[in-house]
Amino acid sequence: MTAPHRRTLSRGGRRRLTGIAMTTPALAMITLFFFVPFVMMLWMSLHDWPLLGQHRFIGLKNYRHALHDTEFRTAVIFTVKYTLVTTPVLFVLGLALALLVRHKRRGARFFQAVYFLPVVVGLASAAFLWLFMFQSDIGPAGDLADHLGLGSRTTNWFAGSTSAMLVVVSMVTWKVVGLQMLLLLTGLQSIPTEVEEAARIDGASRVQTFRYVILPLLRPTLALVLVFSVAGSLLAFDQFYVMTGGGPANSTITAVYEIYRTSFIRFQLGYGSALSALLMIVLAAVSATQLLLLRSSDR
Amino acid sequence: MRFRRAMAAGALLTSVALLGTACGGSGSDTPGSGSGTVTLWARDSQKSFINILADAWNKDHDTKVKVTVVPSANFVQKFGTAAAGGTGPDVASIDLVYLPYFASTGVLDDITDLANKLPYKDGLSAAHRRLATYNGRTYALPFTAEASVLFYNKGLFRKAGLDPDKPPTNYAEIISAAKKIRALGKDTYGYAIAGQCGGCNVFEFTPHIWASGGDVLTADGKKALFNTPEVTDALTFYRKLYTDGSMPAQSKTDTGTIQPALFQSGKLGMTPLGAFFLPVLRKDDKVDFGVAPLPGRNGGSASFAGGDEIAVTKNAKNKAKAQEFVRWATGEQAQTVLAQNGIVPVRTDLIDKIYTPLDPRYKVLAEAMEKGRTPYSTVENALFNDNNGPWVRMINRAVFDGDIAKAQKEGQQAAQSIIDDAP
Repeated sequence: MTAPHRRTLSRGGRRRLTGIAMTTPALAMITLFFFVPFVMMLWMSLHDWPLLGQHRFIGLKNYRHALHDTEFRTAVIFTVKYTLVTTPVLFVLGLALALLVRHKRRGARFFQAVYFLPVVVGLASAAFLWLFMFQSDIGPAGDLADHLGLGSRTTNWFAGSTSAMLVVVSMVTWKVVGLQMLLLLTGLQSIPTEVEEAARIDGASRVQTFRYVILPLLRPTLALVLVFSVAGSLLAFDQFYVMTGGGPANSTITAVYEIYRTSFIRFQLGYGSALSALLMIVLAAVSATQLLLLRSSDR
Repeated sequence: MRFRRAMAAGALLTSVALLGTACGGSGSDTPGSGSGTVTLWARDSQKSFINILADAWNKDHDTKVKVTVVPSANFVQKFGTAAAGGTGPDVASIDLVYLPYFASTGVLDDITDLANKLPYKDGLSAAHRRLATYNGRTYALPFTAEASVLFYNKGLFRKAGLDPDKPPTNYAEIISAAKKIRALGKDTYGYAIAGQCGGCNVFEFTPHIWASGGDVLTADGKKALFNTPEVTDALTFYRKLYTDGSMPAQSKTDTGTIQPALFQSGKLGMTPLGAFFLPVLRKDDKVDFGVAPLPGRNGGSASFAGGDEIAVTKNAKNKAKAQEFVRWATGEQAQTVLAQNGIVPVRTDLIDKIYTPLDPRYKVLAEAMEKGRTPYSTVENALFNDNNGPWVRMINRAVFDGDIAKAQKEGQQAAQSIIDDAP
């Protein structure tokens, strides 16, 4: 009687052990690379913590300072502006591409691959590539603009804050739209074709099918893609660091760029941590709102 | 039962983890790093000579110097973090503008006695000695020098009907020469700057202010002087070059890469740059160029005293040998190696012997170095070298947007608040 009982117990125990063994590496990684730095960041944000030299506890002073920091505010406003421009562009283009390559027509696979290719290029490398292409006098984009009558070879695209941002937005679109396409494509392919056919038989037009059948069924994927792209845009740094260097006249400094400058140019690690913590709160709030909005309308 | 197994597993994991850390601990604490090597950190911009110099030392010393080259753009952060974490080198070659900051934070060893005992103490570059002093103590020795001068294309000068042996000596002459050169052709420009580069603009723009009798900081570094009339004059001078069309459009956003390349292409009449550029042009052998001092509004001249200092770090494992190397680096043998590799030596007592005979144009650089100046501040990085800092921002907005008074007023405020916030 006792023998089989014990065996079941130990089997359960073994499964549990396997479970622990299998999750431990992941947990260890998360602890080491997320929780520990996270707690350290919060701890540092409560200090006056220079890169070198003594640090001292100052409570919430860094946070109070951050609320009146005009440079950080300017950076946040620019980041929001950038996000508001990038997100719809990426989303509409990504969806359009996904719809284009959705059907198993000839060449669909080929174009999927082509649209996806830039995604595997590193962001910094892509930024340098575009920096060269749009460099006045030497870049091919200037030649092209010259031929099309849009500008001249000597136009400095990075000299105006709007044109500089647009060049960066184009680069990011080229670089990221393939990934959004792929995510949306998997969402689209999970919608059974019967639903669409039924709508057609009921006399719905293409646009109506899209609006009232496909879009609602795509909602979980939309949420994912939007959260992804908004979070990515709010954390933008590399593209601006490489392509505009924050210029012209500091008009393209993002929130993360400002955190970098605070920490590693002014050497104020404590204040930089406080700004990071604030950015994280904003990011968490924005993502949560997005997820909530896209979920609650389900019911 | 289940619980006990879990405990056992936990104990096992813990012991493995402990074992791991034990190994890590013994690994990082390599014995012998104190016995035969001195570690030296330098920036990648020193790549051309730093290993040659280390080889010269290694040839006749038992203690070997091991060089690590760190990217220039990240040197301060990398060295700062390493020094804070106790993993820094024994010796570091540091851009002199950062010396007050590093000295004030206590990561450098006090070598006042060593410095005072040098027989050629007074022959070392005065600007370097000033920057290496913090609260009356010395934390580094001068190592390499840099001077800012005006490079001009003699070929373009001839074509434009200007005398190639009479470079401009004040603002008005530069403006008129630049205009004549610009008139030569569509792609030919008169004057170029790197409008979004902090290091470039402290190096190339401040000399105009000094040569006109002004300054950018008070002597104690406690007050910014961005809103003084000499700064206004210099900004107006750059603004004029831009509105005349003598400056290329790229100058506004150049972070320092385009300006030298443009001069090398032979399509640029004049540009302010450093001594490092002379060997580059000589090697190119494409442009017939001259070198002239950077003038003030009505004449005179000044230069930024740049370059590196060499310091022993507080946590150096091999302090005695590190000090010996640092002293050797200022000696005749080492300084001669530098001169032969196109670097301006810091020994004013030797410069006419080991440097100026190598190229007639070196004389201008040597003279510029001897009377070179450097702003002294523990927040120099945030004030001047930061590509988004108040100095660059003021210049960029004044020159390319045109509201000079407003740019100066805001620049002064931003700079003063950085100084006031400094610990």
